[in-house]
Amino acid sequence: MKGVVFVELVKMAEDAFGEDTVDSVLDKAELENDGAFTTVGNYPCSELVKIVMAFSEHSGLSPEVLQIKFGHWMMAFFIEHYPEFFKDKTSAFALLESVDQEIHVEVRKLYPDAELPRFDTERLSDSHLSMIYSSPRPLDAFCQGLIEACLLHFGEEGDIARTPHPTAENTTTFDVTTTA
Amino acid sequence: MTENTDDRVSRKRYERETAARAEAETLLEEKSRDLFLANQKLEKYSTDLEQAVLERTAEVRLALERTEAASAARSRFLATMSHEIRTPLGGLLGMIDLLEMDEQEPGKLELLNYAKTAGVGLSRIVNDVLDFSKMEAGVFLFEEENVDIRALIESVKILAQSHDTGADRQIVSKVSDSVPKLFLGDATRIRQVISNFVSNAIRYSFDGPITIKATAKGDADKTILRLEVEDFGVGIDAEGISNLFKDFTQISNPLTAAAQGAGLGLAICKRIINGVGGEISVDSTLGEGSTFWFEIEIETVDLPDTIGTDGRDTPLLLPPEGIEGTRVLIAEDNTINQKLLLTYADKMGLIADLAEDGSVALQKFAPGKYDLVLMDIAMPVMDGLEATRRIRDRWDPTDVPPILALTAHVMDAIEDEAEQVGIDRILSKPIPFQELKHAIEDVLAGGLKTTQQTPRPSAKPRKAKAKPETSSARSLVDLMAPDVHKNLVEIFGLDGLSDFAEKFLRDSSDRIEKLMMADKNGNVQEVQAQAHSLKGAALALGFPDMVHWAKKIELGETERDDMTVRETAEKFRAKLTELSTILMR
Repeated sequence: MKGVVFVELVKMAEDAFGEDTVDSVLDKAELENDGAFTTVGNYPCSELVKIVMAFSEHSGLSPEVLQIKFGHWMMAFFIEHYPEFFKDKTSAFALLESVDQEIHVEVRKLYPDAELPRFDTERLSDSHLSMIYSSPRPLDAFCQGLIEACLLHFGEEGDIARTPHPTAENTTTFDVTTTA
Repeated sequence: MTENTDDRVSRKRYERETAARAEAETLLEEKSRDLFLANQKLEKYSTDLEQAVLERTAEVRLALERTEAASAARSRFLATMSHEIRTPLGGLLGMIDLLEMDEQEPGKLELLNYAKTAGVGLSRIVNDVLDFSKMEAGVFLFEEENVDIRALIESVKILAQSHDTGADRQIVSKVSDSVPKLFLGDATRIRQVISNFVSNAIRYSFDGPITIKATAKGDADKTILRLEVEDFGVGIDAEGISNLFKDFTQISNPLTAAAQGAGLGLAICKRIINGVGGEISVDSTLGEGSTFWFEIEIETVDLPDTIGTDGRDTPLLLPPEGIEGTRVLIAEDNTINQKLLLTYADKMGLIADLAEDGSVALQKFAPGKYDLVLMDIAMPVMDGLEATRRIRDRWDPTDVPPILALTAHVMDAIEDEAEQVGIDRILSKPIPFQELKHAIEDVLAGGLKTTQQTPRPSAKPRKAKAKPETSSARSLVDLMAPDVHKNLVEIFGLDGLSDFAEKFLRDSSDRIEKLMMADKNGNVQEVQAQAHSLKGAALALGFPDMVHWAKKIELGETERDDMTVRETAEKFRAKLTELSTILMR
């Protein structure tokens, strides 16, 4: 998993709980590299899970809630650092549809070895987008946070229904319905 | 901890960041190395590829050069062989014809006939093999000219019936009205194919008619001509059909024990028809007969309105301008040739009168009675050369129309004698319709007096154009050295040559006067200078007499010819007067 996720997760934690807390939580989490993450590195997803669990324990917030918050945080990060992906998009759906075919293409140019999740989208109606998330990593809630933040960014409101795929493992369908 | 603690970073944090940076730097170095290696690999690929392309290009170029050289050598060889084989063969056949005409003894006539049959057969095989080789070498070209399929079929019919084997056979032609009167194509090759079909039909059938049928279908954009030759002969079984159009194959002929020809005829036909994008095949039932056919796409040539509309007996070619209604005396003893020439004459719209031999021609001839004489050379009682000589002797030159000789001889052999007796042009037999037509148009338009321009049998007749303005140049040629004349005509054209000669005339007339004046005044230097200029000019135009005299004057050697400078100059001036008369005409 890309280092930027770890670096940003730690930053979010620092923002929320302060540096000292983060230091001690990371200590306790018994990470392989003691929390020395760099954005250009790659780290196992299990390390991310450890960090989330450690902060959940510390804060009393469920890992689910933490993931959703982190989704919001990462969307803000993307908006700030990669404005070119948002420039010509006029709606949340347009951006979500571009993840697989545009954004991931750009990611691969920088990191040919990146293990990227798949996002298959289908526009069922003007206000209904079905997005199927397939990844070996159990980060459904993180995705949900990202989608929520995306709607907010475009000033849209709506519901996000999350349904695990009945048969396929590691596959979840997000049904995004906008109301305004 | 002091208040400042908040701004400072703990040791732990610092170590963590350092570790992260070290890792990042290592990763970057790895990436750079990877990039470098990838780059190096790419460069090597690129270089290898360029090298490969260069090598391949060189190989291909070399191969191409070799192929071209081989092809050129092959073409040259074929052209040489073609000429070297056909010429003596033509000579042999011509000589056999000549011997046959003079021969009375039946035994020898029979031998000559065998020789002739063998020679004709050989000639056919040689032509087939040469055609075939040309196709193999890719130097076989198709021409595009106006084809009159009706006339073409007639000529094939006449030719087929002129052979012993086809003489008593009924050959019927049916050309549908849908077939255009003229279309673009290679008449020679189409004739070759039809001819081949017909001669096969004769060879492989015992009796029964042979039908040549032509139909056309399609619209204005795309017309397909279908030609069939049907016989009621031995027929071909299925296996035979599949081999029929292959090279060097023949099907056994129950009618003749021996195989005939090289088995190339239909293979060549197939190549010809396929070469023009057509289709060729045969429908046949063993024991019942065969229908050979081909289909080619043709482009119709629009006819002027002057053509009659009844579609039957109208002139089958564009009406030859200016020769229609020409009265022609045809002296020809061979009945087949008589028929051929009379048919031709009819198609050209000529009014023909026939003389069976030279002596009859001589009796029939009278001034003003004919516009043209077609004279066969080898005829019984009196041959064409003798008849021409006597006509020219008896009548004033202005009363004798152009005389064209037709001969199966090798032309070189009789050219000199023909010129002597006053034959205007020699044509070689068998003469294709177009060639004869052009020759007649030519001779009527130009009033030819020489055989110099006689096209060789291989020359393209349709390129020959009437040149009505040639009379001055034609007489000019009498004064001029032939090679110089030929050169100048090539450079200036006939008109240009006349202009050039006129310029010479004006300039030289002036100079000869000055020369004579200087001679009178004893100015030797001026005489020499003028003589020198005159010599140079005369040389340029190829007037040998004038060159001779000018040279004598220049060198002061007129006495050697027992003449004074004045006398010599007078001769020169006389020649100029002659030239002036010619140019005035």
